[in-house]
Amino acid sequence: MEIKDSYELPLSKERVWAALNDEEFLKNSIPWCEKLERRSETELAAEVKLKIGPMSTRFTGSITLSDIDPPNGYTITGSGKGGIAGAASGSAKVKLVEDKDTSSTILSYEVSAQVKGKIAQLGSRLIQSTAKKLSKNFFGSFVKQLEDMDKP
Amino acid sequence: MSEGIGASVQRKEDKKFLTGKGRYTDDINRAGQVYAHFVRSDIAHANIKSINTKVAAEASGVVAVYTGEDIDVGGPICGWVVPNRDGSATHEPPHPLLAKGKVRFVGDAVAVVIAESLQEAKSASELVEVDYDELPAVVNLETASSGAEIHEGMAENRYFDWELGDEEATDNALNSASRVVKLTVRNNRLVPNPMEPRSALAEYDELNDSYTLYTTSQSPHLTRLVLAAFMFQIPESKIRVVAPDVGGGFGAKIYVYVEEAVCTWASKKIKRPIKWTADRTQAFLTDAHGRDHINNIQLALDSNNKITGLRVDTLANLGGYLSAFAVAVPTYLHGTLLSGLYDIPAIYTNVKGYATTTTPVDAYRGAGRPEATYLLERVMDQAAREVGMDQAEFRRLNFIPKDAFPYQTAVALQYDIGDYEPALDKAMEMIDYKNFENRRSEASKRGKYRGIGVSSYIEACGIAPSAVAGALGGRVGGWESASVRVDPTGTITVTTGAHSHGQGHATTFAQIVTERLGVPNSSVELVHGDSDRSPFGMGTYGSRSLAVGGVAISKAIDKIVEKSKKIAAHLMEASADDVEFKDGKFTVAGTDKETAFGDVALAAYVPHNYPLETLEPGLEETAFYDPMNFTYPAGTHIAEVEVDPATGVVEIVDWAACDDFGNLINPMIVEGQVHGGIAQGIGQALLENAHYDENGQLLTASYMDYCMPRADDLPSFKVGYTNTPCTHNDLGVKGCGEAGAIASPPALINAIINALSPLGVTDMSMPATPQKVWKAIQDSQSVAAE
Amino acid sequence: MYSTKYMKPNSTSEALDAINSLGEGKFLAGGMTLIPTLKQRLANPDGLVDISGCDLDSIADEGETIKIGAMSRHVSVAESAVVKKAIPALAKLAEGIGDRQVRNRGTLGGSVANNDPSACYPSAVLALKANVHTNSRSIAADDFFTGMFETALEEDEIIESISFLKPTKANYVKFPNPASRYAMVGVFVAQFGDEVRVAVTGAGEGGVFRHQEMESVLSSNFSADSLSSVNIVSDGLISDLHASAEYRANLIKEMTKRAVV
Repeated sequence: MEIKDSYELPLSKERVWAALNDEEFLKNSIPWCEKLERRSETELAAEVKLKIGPMSTRFTGSITLSDIDPPNGYTITGSGKGGIAGAASGSAKVKLVEDKDTSSTILSYEVSAQVKGKIAQLGSRLIQSTAKKLSKNFFGSFVKQLEDMDKP
Repeated sequence: MSEGIGASVQRKEDKKFLTGKGRYTDDINRAGQVYAHFVRSDIAHANIKSINTKVAAEASGVVAVYTGEDIDVGGPICGWVVPNRDGSATHEPPHPLLAKGKVRFVGDAVAVVIAESLQEAKSASELVEVDYDELPAVVNLETASSGAEIHEGMAENRYFDWELGDEEATDNALNSASRVVKLTVRNNRLVPNPMEPRSALAEYDELNDSYTLYTTSQSPHLTRLVLAAFMFQIPESKIRVVAPDVGGGFGAKIYVYVEEAVCTWASKKIKRPIKWTADRTQAFLTDAHGRDHINNIQLALDSNNKITGLRVDTLANLGGYLSAFAVAVPTYLHGTLLSGLYDIPAIYTNVKGYATTTTPVDAYRGAGRPEATYLLERVMDQAAREVGMDQAEFRRLNFIPKDAFPYQTAVALQYDIGDYEPALDKAMEMIDYKNFENRRSEASKRGKYRGIGVSSYIEACGIAPSAVAGALGGRVGGWESASVRVDPTGTITVTTGAHSHGQGHATTFAQIVTERLGVPNSSVELVHGDSDRSPFGMGTYGSRSLAVGGVAISKAIDKIVEKSKKIAAHLMEASADDVEFKDGKFTVAGTDKETAFGDVALAAYVPHNYPLETLEPGLEETAFYDPMNFTYPAGTHIAEVEVDPATGVVEIVDWAACDDFGNLINPMIVEGQVHGGIAQGIGQALLENAHYDENGQLLTASYMDYCMPRADDLPSFKVGYTNTPCTHNDLGVKGCGEAGAIASPPALINAIINALSPLGVTDMSMPATPQKVWKAIQDSQSVAAE
Repeated sequence: MYSTKYMKPNSTSEALDAINSLGEGKFLAGGMTLIPTLKQRLANPDGLVDISGCDLDSIADEGETIKIGAMSRHVSVAESAVVKKAIPALAKLAEGIGDRQVRNRGTLGGSVANNDPSACYPSAVLALKANVHTNSRSIAADDFFTGMFETALEEDEIIESISFLKPTKANYVKFPNPASRYAMVGVFVAQFGDEVRVAVTGAGEGGVFRHQEMESVLSSNFSADSLSSVNIVSDGLISDLHASAEYRANLIKEMTKRAVV
């Protein structure tokens, strides 16, 4: 399952890169994120309460950053255990490309997601749609925060 | 007699089932009972780094928590092994009752939590912390040999590499053929889905140092034998296994699973009865799945379109552990059936059985024979298309002629009797085969593609002649037992080692007694399913209950009749040789003397006037019957379908089944078995599929995604019979339980291919879902456009 | 399921008090989705507020509209003489939901509030220009469904009834998922004079949606043939084990054709 999208931001690549590494930005972007604590340069502990329809499960896990290539991009991976519901992980390859002419940056991402346990066994019809929705929510709110900050 | 052999007597057992009065394992409760819940892996393949049960053990209501390290008895065993091509033995890796060090499929039991209530057991099981070191999942059968090692020291994840037949002769046939038809087919993986999920209630008797296990089993005696002799290594007499009413099995309830064994083991540890019942998700994850083969087929034809050779190379997916009869299914229940009902001089097959990190795979209604029939009937169809012959006539040309019986196949079996053309003719007549093209063109005017598909099948039932099974790797006998007790008042209690879990034994077996002893059906009671109450028996699977168990009853009745004649002779003051027995009456030839069966029964128990010096009192006999050969039901099914090209939906518009089951005891029950079998075959061909993702997660683990056949998916079946009575059993019966599931999938797939053949479609895999059929139509149209 | 508190108030205002008394309570309508979820332990509310005693199950002809109480069971809608006369397509839709057991328990309000992307009812709400009446306001259908399993409802808002606008003509055709029999694609077509609304369920990643292109084509020529030229794009359509987005796109067109009669 591959999910791709991109956004154009009227900002420099460095600015977007800094935000991608700012845990406040990340916390506000992760849908239903209840807790995010930095453990190291590349790892953050996370707690997310995921609601899909009547299902409501707290996932505890981590956000890790890898393939770090400042300021061109990284891979951000979230994985968490939802107790009886099983486990889920999603990994997004994020790329930043600056357009010198318009001084804007194209943020593109490619997501792959995996689920385990009950959510895989019972909810397969919703996996792809949910992964897409969560990716959209994450990058959508990330971009919105940047845009809002940029407003005078 | 209207209630004897051949009568469609209504099923005695249905009243309780239809009114919700059946008594299943989960309906039984024992004083002081506690509940088990299993912690299962949600990862397909991983090393277990640690398991922390401390918090769970202290949770509310928890009585005990056990992991693999606590278990000091053995796990499930293999009931059948085969030699490898190089002479080495089947690899039988250990299967611990609870995972030790490693998990090998999603659902693998890692720990058990036993608590005062099921809710407490479930809640506490959420507190068991298992730390896994994840390993790559092995899901794809074609690449399983190069996947991560699943069992220590088992090279290429291969359990066995077996062959049968004459490779040289077969390859010669292929090399000298005027045409070689090649085809690769996949037999999709199925989840058995009996209506009642598995359940166990285990109780330990401290005074007697013995166990009682109530469980959902098709073979309670085998469960006892395996638990006592192989797993616990205690005297067999110290375990009683009771399989009360059981709501369907389809093969999945033959085996001893870890859950039943863990409950039994733990009942001694905690000295309290323990109950476990699977919910539907656990049933999906842990009941042994069915089928999952890939078959590469090469069929050699001569210039007259006669088959000269067949080579089949098979990969079989057997899952994370080797289940009890997993080895037998793709080998001796599959390879030996590759001649079908055709005269094929040379056959060779190689079967490689692989481990994958998926649920274990074992026998499922038909077990091996549906796979053999599917591949054979698919390649027969392909061959008929290639040579431009009518599909029915191509089969007819290659049928074993009726004067060739007994017929020795090239793959070990000897068919005792059969006559295949009448069944083909009758099925063709039932479905009006000759006017099919008119119906096709009429459908085409309505924008539908109409197709007709033929499947001629044979199966080996009545499993099994012990000597044959033993020679081929079976580790158990194939006989069945029965005991017939005539009560003082002339009523009869039949005790059988066969087990009814939907088959209607109480009715069918009573009809044999009625026929032979002349007592009314209502006077016959059937006792089964309790290792303490019936003689040792082998249980029910492989369409064996009537052909082996029924014949054992008949043999016991022979003994009853023989003894009764002696008693009657005494009562009538005649010689036993002159006594005849018919319709419940003893008569003396050439006289008007007669005495009723009931009087003889009474005399046996009230022996006031009785030849006590030469004859024991009482009237109760036991017989064990071991068949000389398999039985060979055969026949032809023809399916007619209409495909809606706009949606890909396949509608089954007609179905004709003509089967030769030998003599029928209860035609109504037989017809029901045929209906149920076809329904399951249609399920496999159109609807059902166990789908794993690349990480070994079962994505079809509920009825949201796993599609069971429903009444409105099915047409009204036309069912007919031919009859060549079995030559080697007293009843002339062959067995009917699996035929429908064996015959139907290729009939349906062939019909779909036939419907789409005007578009150039030549292949269709199971299940033929609407999306797949639609895509095949789209692709053929884009090919046509190019 | 985890143990939870069960409350059964007699009016919507009591129901609101009840839900507010809980930390994380859930309204229970027919329970056809919620109860299986609880049994699987995939949710752990601290209380259930059963609204089946709140007198929300009337069905009335109000002239321009048919007003159906939120707690009306599917079977009641399917068998209602009022619904059958004014909007037979809505009765047909209700009759095709789940099986008999589900139709005896499941409710209109429960289905609409849950907004499962494969549920049948949301398509009728959207196509029939319905108004969703809650305890505090009326929400137009076009504003009600906001995404997969998402609606404009607040946490403590109860649907009391839904008013469906009587169409000139309407029809619902669904292609059921072979396993679950939920809509893999369901299309509700409603004609109001010159205006045609086409609502599609089972297919959109964001849940039910209107298909504007088909609406405009059908508004100018209400015939199945007129749809032949329409190209249904598969972007944004659900792709799962049973049906790819492309196959769903095909089914949307095909089911719409079948609905236009």
